[in-house]
Amino acid sequence: MDWSIVGKAALVLSGLSLVFGALLAIASIKFAVETDPRVDQVLEVLMGTNCGACGYPGCQVAAEAVVEGKAPVDVCLAGGPGTAEAVAEVMGVEAKTREMGVALVHCKGGLAESPPRARYQGIDSCAAADKIAGGGKACDYGCLGLGTCKDVCPVNAIRITRDHRRWVNRGRCTGCELCIEVCPRNLIEIVPRKQNVLVMCTNKDKGRKAREVCTVCCIACKKCEKVCEFEAITVKDNRVFIDYEKCTQCGKCIDVCPNNVIVRVVPRKSRSTKPKADADA
Amino acid sequence: MSEPYRYFLIFLGAMVVYNIVLIRFIALCPFFGVSNQVETSIGMAMSVLFVMTMATTVCWLAWNYILEPLHVGEFLYIPVFILIIATLVQFLEMVLKKVSPPLYRAMGIFLPLITTNCAVLAVATEAVKPGFLKLNVAYHFSLPEALIYTIGVAIGFGVIIVVFACIRERLETSPVPHMFRGAPIAFMTAALLSLAFMGFANLLDL
Repeated sequence: MDWSIVGKAALVLSGLSLVFGALLAIASIKFAVETDPRVDQVLEVLMGTNCGACGYPGCQVAAEAVVEGKAPVDVCLAGGPGTAEAVAEVMGVEAKTREMGVALVHCKGGLAESPPRARYQGIDSCAAADKIAGGGKACDYGCLGLGTCKDVCPVNAIRITRDHRRWVNRGRCTGCELCIEVCPRNLIEIVPRKQNVLVMCTNKDKGRKAREVCTVCCIACKKCEKVCEFEAITVKDNRVFIDYEKCTQCGKCIDVCPNNVIVRVVPRKSRSTKPKADADA
Repeated sequence: MSEPYRYFLIFLGAMVVYNIVLIRFIALCPFFGVSNQVETSIGMAMSVLFVMTMATTVCWLAWNYILEPLHVGEFLYIPVFILIIATLVQFLEMVLKKVSPPLYRAMGIFLPLITTNCAVLAVATEAVKPGFLKLNVAYHFSLPEALIYTIGVAIGFGVIIVVFACIRERLETSPVPHMFRGAPIAFMTAALLSLAFMGFANLLDL
């Protein structure tokens, strides 16, 4: 056996390794880019879902913006106050607290309540369905139930059942507002987290026409407006609006609503004691 | 055969006839991994073109001026090439970060991925050891030939991954049966593409 070839091989490999190692070592000094160590620290405490709700393309860029002072410490909408405090701690400033709302889909009608007028077989997105003659839904204002909002939700707070009923998990929802933009029918609103009495219809048609397309629609009968002692409810364009600041959540409007359009959202824990409650909103 | 014509044949052979993904089944990992969106697949394709060209140049030089003269290339080429490619990618990453931040941001995610990409090693090997090649080339590539071959392979990879990404984006909105959604339909599409490329078999000979 020719031992010289082994020697040569060892020489070549170790020589090349040394050269490359030295090259990398020199390059790492010469081409070092100075980065603020706080960027990594901020990135650590952000949600890390890269949801983009803050308006920056991803958590890395948001962290850089925070460190550069271009973004406030509560930049992370999805993280809520907890994340804002953690970021503020890294940056050494006081955190402002922002009142976090929760998403609400203003429609109660599933397939059972508002039977489809046609079978939609196109692209699986609400925007596309809305463009094609309003999709299969009989109601021109109601939720199409194809789940575009569910797809954009970074924390999986929205659930859509097989009969096209929607649930927003209030425990999970961070009020990041991503779902608002994608809904072609503008059904989603961020409501205060403490607000439990909610209107579940946006239909602007007159009572009779609305009733033709859905059994849980608002017919603008104004009973709720009359019964409200705090002038919190107004009916405009055949739609019901609740002023969340005036509303005391007494629930009188719920009792008088003939179509059960106004509902009280019940927290998950107490649902078992109130079996007839309208669940999570 | 004239010189430019030979270059053209090497290029075309590397790019289409012996396409690295669809005919030789190398680099399938990035082919499926980064072909979800057209934009990212273009980034990946550019990065591969960039790294492959650099890697082949250095590997060709190392083979012809270090390994061959010492007669150790035959059994040492894999560790040496891996060493070269890994170092080169690290080095390029550092240089790009410093010199051209926009380019770094465009390629940044893909560069570390390419470090361990089998396609880069395969191309570097083929450029110096044409025995691996099915192009009927029984001689060693000169440096220009090796470069043209490499660019051909990289463009072949790039075109295929972008085409595949386009198809996958279209598939996203197609009524695919539920059980085939995602990876299964992607695999089937790739298989059909591969079948289509078999039509190029033996199209040209050097």
